[in-house]
Amino acid sequence: MNGIENPIVFYPAAIAMILCGILTIRFKNIMHSLLAAIAVFFLAGMFFYVLGSEYNAIIQIAIYGVAVPVILGLGIMFTNLKNSYRAEDKNKTPVMKYLIILTCGIFILAIIYLLMTSYVILPDSFSYALPDETNSREVINSFASGIFIRYVWGFELVSIILTIIAAGLTMFKKRGGV
Amino acid sequence: MSEITIYHYLFLGLALFVIGIAGSIISKHVIKVLISIEFILTGVNINFITFASYCDCPKFNGYITALFYMAIGALELAVAIYIFYLMYSKKQSENIEKYGDL
Repeated sequence: MNGIENPIVFYPAAIAMILCGILTIRFKNIMHSLLAAIAVFFLAGMFFYVLGSEYNAIIQIAIYGVAVPVILGLGIMFTNLKNSYRAEDKNKTPVMKYLIILTCGIFILAIIYLLMTSYVILPDSFSYALPDETNSREVINSFASGIFIRYVWGFELVSIILTIIAAGLTMFKKRGGV
Repeated sequence: MSEITIYHYLFLGLALFVIGIAGSIISKHVIKVLISIEFILTGVNINFITFASYCDCPKFNGYITALFYMAIGALELAVAIYIFYLMYSKKQSENIEKYGDL
């Protein structure tokens, strides 16, 4: 039994991930929320690794586990934390709201699953799908052909658009648009 | 204890997606809303990679799409933080209800 099918790996990590996700939106202190979010991102990287995509796991941990929290931390440093506590104390949201939304999500999942299985929307092979066995060389080859051959124009287009956005925001600030 | 199937991973992705949706609806703090949006993207990425690992061996389109989403998600967050910084210098509040005139 490899990692992808191992319940000892999956269940504790999945429970920790969902718990940290809920704590992120439950914590009053925004720094605590950020720390819980970092745990979620690291666990997501672990799941990517377990699923056989080491490259995605590295990118996930490098970007979401390290770079994004730094940006968010800088964003938090600009704000006045004492005032934010007072604002949150005034606008307390009841726990029932969270429970209702989470329960609705689970019910929607159950309904979709029942519909798919009862009307046999899924192909037969999908229900009994087994993880594909690959080696890391094959994965790197497919990444290279995907990024540099098949989707090269998509990547170039997105990079141009993002450069334009960054330049536009700088111009916006200089002209005092906001 | 039974083995882990594709549905377990899909459910995990959906749970994270729902947490992200709930957080982005309920949270009052702008940074929390941004973190919740990142949760949504991470949930979607888990689903992409699960499908790629179980059903998409020769091409790995799911892996590449997940990579695409990660890059775009991080950059979108950077842009959003910048806009938040510009707005915060004017509003002096991180409560999202005060950003209605954006």
